[in-house]
Amino acid sequence: MSAQPLVLGIETSCDETGVGIVRGTELLANVIASSMDEHARFGGVVPEIAARAHLEALEATLLAAVERAGIALTDLDAVAVTSGPGLSGALMVGVGAAKALALALGKPLYAVNHLVGHVGADILHAPGADDRGELELPTIALLVSGGHTSLLLVRSLTDDVELLGETIDDAAGEAFDKVARLLGLPYPGGPQIDRAAVDGDPTAVRFPRGLTLPKDLVAHRYDFSFSGLKTAVARHVERLRDAGQPVPVADVAASFREAVADVLTAKAIAACVDLGVPRLLLGGGVVANARVRTLAAERAAAAGVSLRIPPLSLCTDNGAMIAAIAAQRIMAGHGPSDLGVGADSTLPVTVVQA
Amino acid sequence: MSGGKRLVIADPEAMERFGARVAAELRAGDVVLLTGELGAGKTTFTRGLGAALGVRGAVTSPTFVLARTHPREGGAPLVHVDAYRLADAAELDDLDIDFAGSIVVVEWGAGLVEHLVDEWLSIVIERPTGGGASAPDGASDADEIDDPDDAPVEPRTVTVAGTGARWADLGWVHAARD
Repeated sequence: MSAQPLVLGIETSCDETGVGIVRGTELLANVIASSMDEHARFGGVVPEIAARAHLEALEATLLAAVERAGIALTDLDAVAVTSGPGLSGALMVGVGAAKALALALGKPLYAVNHLVGHVGADILHAPGADDRGELELPTIALLVSGGHTSLLLVRSLTDDVELLGETIDDAAGEAFDKVARLLGLPYPGGPQIDRAAVDGDPTAVRFPRGLTLPKDLVAHRYDFSFSGLKTAVARHVERLRDAGQPVPVADVAASFREAVADVLTAKAIAACVDLGVPRLLLGGGVVANARVRTLAAERAAAAGVSLRIPPLSLCTDNGAMIAAIAAQRIMAGHGPSDLGVGADSTLPVTVVQA
Repeated sequence: MSGGKRLVIADPEAMERFGARVAAELRAGDVVLLTGELGAGKTTFTRGLGAALGVRGAVTSPTFVLARTHPREGGAPLVHVDAYRLADAAELDDLDIDFAGSIVVVEWGAGLVEHLVDEWLSIVIERPTGGGASAPDGASDADEIDDPDDAPVEPRTVTVAGTGARWADLGWVHAARD
């Protein structure tokens, strides 16, 4: 196998069908088909719809990625796929396709962890483009999306990732969806709240900051909770409606968003400081949230922490990040996954390759 | 199903303990129907229930995934469902849940689950809404908010009722009040 392995990665853990192709850390193709529109009328991702959409989109997405990369499938050194965590039915489509491809091509299969993939997205660079500078390790990583809210300590992308904390109730993205619903805004909630918040006053209502009080920090120092915040927003809106007053949507959206951004960034920076790791990486769809990015940048600067945010196209779910992790594993000398490997919806982050 | 037993649950910790108490009654084939507003404490209840059953994986909100199966050593798995986004019983049926071989907890399942099973334990959790209990912000109850960053703790009223022979005897319910 070459020193810079050519790897095709398939990602189907949620509602994006992603196929990416990398050579080592060089990004050759990153093609994504989303079934988000099909889920909108249900107010969220429907696993069965996602699985079916992956099935329909996968072949075309794969062919588009191969064409964009200008390679032939037979050139590949390995096939990579997300084995978990994610939605079972959705994952199975990708895992099944990857196995079939690996078998048909006679190439090794690397089944890797989706969350570690989000961190791996950061090492990719376009061919010939200026490198963004090496990802230095160890680093703290804050991964936030519709289904995940996780704080990780990454010592090695190939074999040493520790889960510091995660949400104990709603994922941050889910809290955005639920609050959007309370405010009468459509799905998905993240961009809707972000837009509504533009003209709002983030200090209009001081909403609760979950698990940040001294009493919570003992057992849940790096864990998150957005359920109490969601309830507080519901109560606030109900009181105004009961009193016959209009709901100031912009102010409530801005105040809610501030509470989420505050807790996410405060805990991430606290982990950097506590553990003496002056590096923070953000990943996942919530990176698209302007306030989360701004507050993270301010606080990182104040704490002397260097902040890395991969380009948005690599922050949302994609196959390139999966190929990137597999390439790292190959370069570190790890062997392929067994062809009997399956989808694992609750794959722990400590398992980089299944 | 008539009336049901009412209890007052003081705070989230008590809600988790109540979940654990209910867990002690459960076995494969049982269905628990949870009803309550957004933020009532349905997931908190299920977290306590799951912990008492000793399930694998964190019991968090299943809204995003619709249904999450938590395996456990030497016992029926816990299947935690959020039916809020499902339109009808047929969509719930599409999830292919193994009702007979699992302990199934369904949030927002009233009106749907009844079409799929004959017996279930219904737990309705009510939180104060609108202008009830705590005063509008700013003004207020001295003990409501010591620190604005803390989520206010408000008691919940819980009503437990059974449908079917399996839940004819709810004698164990008051034990839940500590």
